[in-house]
Formats: sequence, C-alpha cells, structure tokens
Amino acid sequence: MRTWADDPKGPADIDLLHQVQLGDESGLEGLYARYGGLIFTLALRIVGDPELAREVLQDTFLRCWDRSDTYDAARGRVAGWIMSIARHRAIDLLRSRPHQARLREQEELTGAVSAAIPSGTTESVTMRQTVASALRGLPMSQRQVIELAYYGGLTQTEIASELGVPLGTVKSRTREALERLRTVLWPVIEQPQEAPEGRD
Amino acid sequence: MTEEREHPIDDLAAYSLGSLEAPEARHVEHHVATCTACGSLLRQYQSVVGTLPLGLDPVGPPPEAWPAIRRNVQGRRYATNERIKVLAGWRRVMWPAMSALAGLLLIWNVVLQVELTRRPPGPEVEALARRPGRLVILTGTGTPEASGRLLVAIDGHHGHLAVAGLSPLPPHRVYQLWFIRPGQAPLSGGSFGVDAHGRAWASITVPVSLDETREIEITEEPSPGTVAPTGKPLLAAKAWR
Repeated sequence: MRTWADDPKGPADIDLLHQVQLGDESGLEGLYARYGGLIFTLALRIVGDPELAREVLQDTFLRCWDRSDTYDAARGRVAGWIMSIARHRAIDLLRSRPHQARLREQEELTGAVSAAIPSGTTESVTMRQTVASALRGLPMSQRQVIELAYYGGLTQTEIASELGVPLGTVKSRTREALERLRTVLWPVIEQPQEAPEGRD
Repeated sequence: MTEEREHPIDDLAAYSLGSLEAPEARHVEHHVATCTACGSLLRQYQSVVGTLPLGLDPVGPPPEAWPAIRRNVQGRRYATNERIKVLAGWRRVMWPAMSALAGLLLIWNVVLQVELTRRPPGPEVEALARRPGRLVILTGTGTPEASGRLLVAIDGHHGHLAVAGLSPLPPHRVYQLWFIRPGQAPLSGGSFGVDAHGRAWASITVPVSLDETREIEITEEPSPGTVAPTGKPLLAAKAWR
C-alpha cells in the first residue's frame, strides 16, 4: 500500500530502500528527493541553525546508507524511520548546547523560516495542509506541550518545569492533543492510495 | 486498580513523542509488548507524530547538501570495496597460514615434551636445598646408580624426598622410607612409587628428630608398606647436615 509520503509516479519508499540496501546510490537519491526538504525543515526547526540543520540532513542520509539493514517494516514505514533518525540526531545536537540558549534560538527562529520549497505531489501538499490545519486547531496549551516535546526534545518532567505546571497536567495535555490529532489525521494517514500490491 | 493504571494511556502519547523518562519508557514498552489495544493505539500515535513536520513552513535544503552526501557515500563505498578486497586477500591466505601455525604448535609441543622427559629433577632439588633446614643425601647401597635427597624443614617435621635411579615396581610393591633409631624399632617415613624413569618426588612427614636417628634407609616392600623393613636397603644415609 502506498502512503501520503509516496510519489505516485515514482517507486515506493520501500523499493528505494531496497536499492539502498543493495548499494545502489540512486535509491538514496530518490529518498533524498522525497524527504530531503522535510528533514531539513524538521532539523532547522529543532536546532535553529541552517548550518547545523545541514549537518543533521547529511548525517541522516549517511546513516540511512550505512544502516539501511536495520530498518524493520514491522515497526513503521520508511518515512517514519528516516524522520526518526533525523529527529534523534537533531535533538542530540540540541542537547549538546545550553538549554536556555536553545530555547532563545527557537524563539528567534519563529517566523524566520519561510524560504521556498518545491511544492511536491498533490497528495503531499494536501497532507501538509491537513497537518497544519490540525495543529492550528489545537488549543495553545496543548500545541505548546507537543512542540516542546517533539521539537524541543524535552521530557514531560522538563516541560512541567518549563511551563510551571504539574506533571499530570502536562501528561493529560499531551494525551488530549494527540487524541485530537489522531482523530483528524489517522483516517488520512491510513487512506489507501491507488498503487500496485506489496508497496509500502 | 484503575483503568488508567492498567493501561498507561497518558504515557503512550508521551512515549510516541519520545518525551518519557527512561523508566517510564521501559514500562510502556513492557506493557505494549503484551497489550494489543495499547500497541495498536501507540502505532497510531506514532504515525500521527511522524506527520508533525509536515505542519512546518517548508524550507528547501541547501543545494550543496546532496552533492556532499553523494561524495561521502562514494567515499564509503570505495572504503568498503577496499575492505572487501583486503578480506578476500586474507581469506586466500588464511587456511595455509592457520595450517602452518597449527603445524608449528604441534612441533613445539613435541619438542617441549621431549625436553621435559630429558630433564632431571635437579633444579627442584637445588631450590629446596637452598631453603633453611637439613639436607640428607642418600646414596645407592643395593642399587649403586640410585641417589636421593631428603630435605627436612627447619621445624624438623616436614620434608621433601627426591630420588632417582630406582627401578619401576609392579603394582603390588612400593618403596618405603625408614628412620632407624639406636636400640628402637625403625619408624616409617612413608611409601612411594617411582615413574617410568625411576624418579620420585614426595612430600613426607618426619616421624622423629634427625638428632635421634642413626640411619635413614629406603627399602622395597609389599604394597602399601610394612611396619618394619623386610627388604634390603637400596638407598641409605648415615650422616647429614
């Protein structure tokens, strides 16, 4: 089954990853064309520095190349695997810097990131709009805990300390936020696309 | 127990965001390993979390990023190919090299065994002789080519006996050490056998002070030994220092 992340005109993600596993550089190039922009965007959002974000982008694809055999289809899709590598690498970089400085950098970054990116396929543009809309639909208090956790790499305890609210409040806000997002996004994520059998 | 405690619902959401402390994360992992409902919900949360970057204003990657990645990949592939070549080369020579090494070890082992069988126990005796105590030199009487050393520790009760040149005995015969006192029954110092080369090395208990002993003898006796010597002395000493 294809997903929102796959380009209907190109090979499925899993096929590109198989090419990578066989040492075929064009497989990596295909994945880069599909996810390079998204990973750079994510990395920039997390680390707040274009140079560091480029480092994260390069590290992510080199890790895909070196460790393509560690991908386990049972634990999620290729897109999620790559994004997870990128996020962990970015958060590792972020944690290596002073906490206050990284928060300041992220505040300064807000609104500064708006350079152009290729528009992508119709499916991916639609998905972007859906996700952005779903996030905008969250109450500020819920969006805040999601962003501090996902982009800030903070634990629930650290978020509670950062916001000055009880840990239980952070946990319930996190759960409510993800429940709302799941209600909106899960049907879209799971919506089957027209594609040949056996594809990711 | 409440439903919340049974199923860590709040923690599933936090786990999918990677924002749990390690012990809580382990608890969630243990739980979802056996709870289908929570496992399914967690996968849905994780899929949702995977789409979050799509909500960001997109930024194009710098144009030099892909060429740099490609150069690095090509460099790694070259290094991998070189490693494969080295490995292949090693595999070609590995079995001959291992065979040669095994052969050398075998030869060395044989040489070592031969050397050990040729060596007399002299050095051990010399080492013991340097210890404080008394040394008794036994000479062959019934067997001229035999010799022995009895080394008695300074406490006068413990010692070591080393002999060479005695004939190996059948299973029902032993050699026995005797301490002969003037006007009294001989006292046994123990019995022993010798190896195929006629040598023996035994730790013994000295039954009487050497000052009260007139003579020390070794005789051949029925196994496991007798209360008084019945055989003729093969080794004997009448003086010591």
